[in-house]
Parts: sequence; C-alpha cells; structure tokens
Amino acid sequence: MTSFRTFTELVLDRAAELGTEDAFIFLPDDANGSVPEHLSYAGLDQDARRIASWLQAHGVAGGQVLLLYPSGTDFIKAFTGCLYAGAVAVPAPLPTEQGQHFTRVSGILRDAEVRAVLTDSTNAPEISAWLASEGMTDVLCLATDGADYGDPGAYTVPDLSPEHLAFLQYTSGSTSDPKGVMVSHRNLLANEAAIQHAAGTDSNTRFSGWLPFYHDMGLIGHVLHPLYIGGSAVLLSPVSFLRRPHRWLKTFGDYGATIGGGPNFAYDLCVRRVTDEQIAELDLSTWGAAANGAEPVRAETVRAFTERFAEAGFRPESFFPCYGMAETTLLVSGTPLGRRPAQRTVDPVALEQGTFGDPQDDGPRRTLVGSGVIHDFTVKIVDPDTRQERPEGSVGEIWVKGDSVASGYWKRPLTNTEIFDAHITDGRGREDAGGWLRTGDLGALEDGELYVTGRLKELIIFAGRNLYPQDVERAVQSTDKALGVGSGAVFTVETDREHVVVVQEVRVSAVGTDLRSVATGVQRMLGQELNMPAGNVILVRPGTVRKTTSGKIQRTLMRKLFLQGALTPLYEVLEPAVRGTVADATGSSLAQAGV
Amino acid sequence: MSVPTTGRTTPELTAWLSDRIALYLKRRPTEIDPAVPLAEYGFDSVAALSLCGDIEEDFDLILEPTVAWDYPNVRALAAHLAESLESEAAG
Repeated sequence: MTSFRTFTELVLDRAAELGTEDAFIFLPDDANGSVPEHLSYAGLDQDARRIASWLQAHGVAGGQVLLLYPSGTDFIKAFTGCLYAGAVAVPAPLPTEQGQHFTRVSGILRDAEVRAVLTDSTNAPEISAWLASEGMTDVLCLATDGADYGDPGAYTVPDLSPEHLAFLQYTSGSTSDPKGVMVSHRNLLANEAAIQHAAGTDSNTRFSGWLPFYHDMGLIGHVLHPLYIGGSAVLLSPVSFLRRPHRWLKTFGDYGATIGGGPNFAYDLCVRRVTDEQIAELDLSTWGAAANGAEPVRAETVRAFTERFAEAGFRPESFFPCYGMAETTLLVSGTPLGRRPAQRTVDPVALEQGTFGDPQDDGPRRTLVGSGVIHDFTVKIVDPDTRQERPEGSVGEIWVKGDSVASGYWKRPLTNTEIFDAHITDGRGREDAGGWLRTGDLGALEDGELYVTGRLKELIIFAGRNLYPQDVERAVQSTDKALGVGSGAVFTVETDREHVVVVQEVRVSAVGTDLRSVATGVQRMLGQELNMPAGNVILVRPGTVRKTTSGKIQRTLMRKLFLQGALTPLYEVLEPAVRGTVADATGSSLAQAGV
Repeated sequence: MSVPTTGRTTPELTAWLSDRIALYLKRRPTEIDPAVPLAEYGFDSVAALSLCGDIEEDFDLILEPTVAWDYPNVRALAAHLAESLESEAAG
C-alpha cells in the first residue's frame, strides 16, 4: 500500500486491477422494491476520467471544486474525478436538501475560492441561480450525470506530489466563519493505512454505511477506505436510514458486510425503532467492526445495542469504539479487533478535578468507554493552561502528532500556529520542538487505552455533528423580536444522553403573544431547521446571561448556574431527565459544601 | 369516522401516535398531551423522519416529514392521518 505516492495513483491502479468488480452498491431511497445500483471499479474509472478531462479542459483542474450532491454514486464519481484531475475537492452539504441552507455553503464557496461546482441535473438550475445571486458568475457549474460533456480519452494523468491537497474538509468553524481542513495526499494515505491497522481491513472487507459523504467519517471511512483496500461498500442515504433504520442493519446479512458505523445516536435509533419481527430477519454475524466515533462513546449505547441485537448474531467484541476528527484526516485510535470495548468506572467528582479515581462504595459513578489504542500517532495528554504533559490516568487536552495530521486550515496561518503547531513545556519552562495538534477534546490515557471525557471548547457535538453555540443562539434569537440578540447561552447537559439547553433573555414588554408561544417558536426552529431536539428552553430576564468584559457569552458559567438551580426563569420547559439533573446537582453541591 | 381498509379510528390513531412519539422522545406515552405542540417535547427532524418511516411501515402511506410541522400536535396529526388513510382507501 505504501508504494503509492498519491491517492490518485492508488485509485488508478485499483481500477486497472479490479475492473468489473463492485466498488459500490447504492440502495436508493425508495420504499417499494428499489433496485440497487452497482458501480464497478471500471465504471467509476470511466466516469472519473470524463469528469477529470472536463475539469482539465476548462482550466480548473488546479483549483478547488465544490461538490454539492445528494447521497449517491454521482458524488463518488465526482470526488474521484477531482482526484484524477488533481483538483482539490470541497465536499459540502447540498443546500436544497431538507434542513440545509445556502448560508453555510456560501461561506464555504468564498473561503475555499472555488473555481467550479459539480452537482447533478436535478439540482443544477437552483445552484446556478445561487451562484448568480452570489455574484460568482465566473464559477463554472456542471451536472455530472449528463452525457454530453468531457472526453474520457482526452484525460491526462497529472503529476502530483504527496504534499498536493486531495480535498478540503469543511466540518470546522461556525456558519459565519467556516474552516476547511487541508488534507494532502500524504495525510490521506497515512490515515487510510492507520484505519487498516486499527480495523484489520483487506480486499474482502465490505462496508455498509449511511453517513453523509461530506462528513469525514462518511467520506474517509465509508467511501475512500473501500477504494484504498480494493474492497467494496454498500451505501444508503442518511434520510433512508433515519426513516427506516432496519434497512441499514439488513444490508449486513443481505450483502455480507463486515464493517460500518456511526455516532451513538445511530445505535440508539436502531435499539428504539427496529421491531422484534425485523430483528428476527436480521443476520449481523458478519459484522466484525461496528464503528462508533465522532463523540464520546456511551456505555449505555454499547450495552443496549449489544443486548438487543445479540439474537441477530451481533457479538459484544464487534463494537469498535474509535476516536478521530477531520483535523487528523479521520481516525486516531480504535479498539483492537476481537476485544470488547474497554470500560472504566470512575468517581465523577474526581473526574471533574482531572483524575481517574475508583468510585466509593455507594458514591456516584460514571462509566467511560475507551476509544481504543493508538498505532500510527503519538498522543499526549497535556494541561491546556501550563502546556505540561499530564501523567497516566489524568485528564487533560488530547494532543496529537502523526502523518495523518493535516497541515492546518485553509488560509488560516494564525489559527494554524496555535492549533496545529503547539509546543509542550517541561517543568522548567522549556518548550519542545512543537508540531502538536491541539484537539480541543479532553481525555486520559490508561494502560494504553484512550478515554475521551469531554470538550475543552464550547463546541457542541450532537449526533456526531459539530455545532457552534453562537450559530444556535443566533437561530434562537431570530425567532422573535422579543429575544435580544447576543443575550442567550446554549450548552449541553448529560444524563444517559446529551441534551441541549437554551437559556435566552426575553423582553416581556415586547412579547406579542405569551411566553410559552415564544418558547415553542424557539423549539420548532431548532427542531426543524437545525435538526436538533430542543426540549429545554429557559426564558429569563434581561441581564441574566453572563458575559465577559469583552462581551463574550459565558456558556460554561451559565451551564453551572443552570445545574445549581440558580437561574430564575420567567418561563421554562424542561425534559423530565434534565429536570432530574438539576435536582441532583443541587443535592450533590450541598453535600460537597458539607450541608 | 371509520376507515374501512385499516379499521383505525381517530382515537386509535391518537394512541398509536402518542406511543410512537413517546418512543422517539424517550418519554412515557401518558406524558404526551395531544394538544401540546410536539416542538415543546424536543421533537426534531430525526423524530419527524422516524414518524414518517413508521407510518409507511404500519399504514403503507408515504408522507413527507414536513407533516409533523404542518400538523404540530398529536391531535392535528391524528386527524390528518385519518383523513389521508380515508382518501387513500377511497382513491
């Protein structure tokens, strides 16, 4: 595998070698007897050459190319076409799909300095109109599912170096400030090798997945890894999975799939929605690696899924908790094959103070699930303030170094120095050579196992998506004129799962209806437009939401005040589980104070 | 109102909806007040897609997920579902 200098060389080689073998099988979202679409290596190669030759003929092969597609093989062909041309692919969510908006892709379009947009014929008219309205008349737009463009025979293989960028991954940054991770061919090849080492994949490996292709786990894991190993993948759209989760599980038996996964919520959804009758028809015995990443893995999720699907042949050692992020291309650590996920039950009070301690006999306890072991990286746990390394079993920020770590965000030299080139300090104030990636995640190492315990930053990771509190707060404040701009705080609290809590100031005199309607409007906006359950809204008097002297919202402090029961609501709606957390927090803080 | 093909009455559909929706929201069915907006319980687009998937499964009726926002509580949804099933049977 290491003989390839670029991912382009690798895919060209795979295509020549594997010809008519299936690379991808896509199951369309059609309830009544949908016909699976097979895409062979040769078929992929042919269309990728055509797209690449069009990019080359139009002089955009050296630039950034935005990919806006629904889930399906057209995206895969276009991404491969960019690889073939030596263009820098920029995958992004299709704005015309439900719940998505042009705001975010407009930010990406400008930041990435896109030269061309590739899409399909269904979406091309609306995307052309959007480009015109953005004043981007020199950006080309091509519907790649048409027949009358590009000559595969005219394609020429570009001369690329390993440092050439393969794509920009825009999963970071808020809507108003999107950041694209620069993933080079070297990074991509290194991470695909790391995934292979962690998950033990080979050319017989068959993926099954439904994650969006613009998401790092969907793209690098479920689309590019099959190409890397010369294997195959069965894919369905996110909407298809969400409507009928058993469709995904059914692919394992139907197609003999061996690996695939998603964040916690995907497994939770399967537990809740797959019926006994459906389970009776499932065969999950071929599933060797059920990947669970993108957020801290929950013990309850692992337990419930394993128990529920045991009768379908799912084995406890098949769970594959892992850790990674777009900044490291994808995977950093993974659970060794054939081993059950590591679990560590700790004292939550000690954990909050930064150490792993055994729980007291009848004291509170929290069970953490390990994210596996590290092969292809160096990982250190570092005190984010002193920048000194923390000892084994202590919590600190996870710092990472390795060939898959990207060189930084596109056009962000200052941020990159801070985030991608951090230095560890020793006890005497001397700095090391640097080059560490600061992940912003908190965790600990114990017996070689990495445990992710939380977030250093206020970024909300919900159902595997990165959400920026300022984006959510802005959406909240847009629902009613009585809600002050810049006077709300959004954060999460944990029970057996993550809950979003909105604390928002309201000017009662400006409320046209009643406070309950204002709150419901907020909940509807978040639920429908931002795809996040908003069961907890607290409307408070102006002046309640704390800010720093420079005007920054103090979300961590607001969360603490909320949990202590120290906020006086004008109106509140809380989920029963969250209400329980507030009561508990009050109890334990009293206990700690010796009352 | 009777729906001959399914035998489901509006009260039955109300119970079915409360049951499903409680499952998505990890609550007890008795906690779901048919008159309260679903948004107030933290209903989101994943729940909306789940609901459409289950309606398709149990009633063989294809609805768009926007239905849960157009008919924002159990009472309105039950009435809409009864009507859709009836027109389906008639058509």
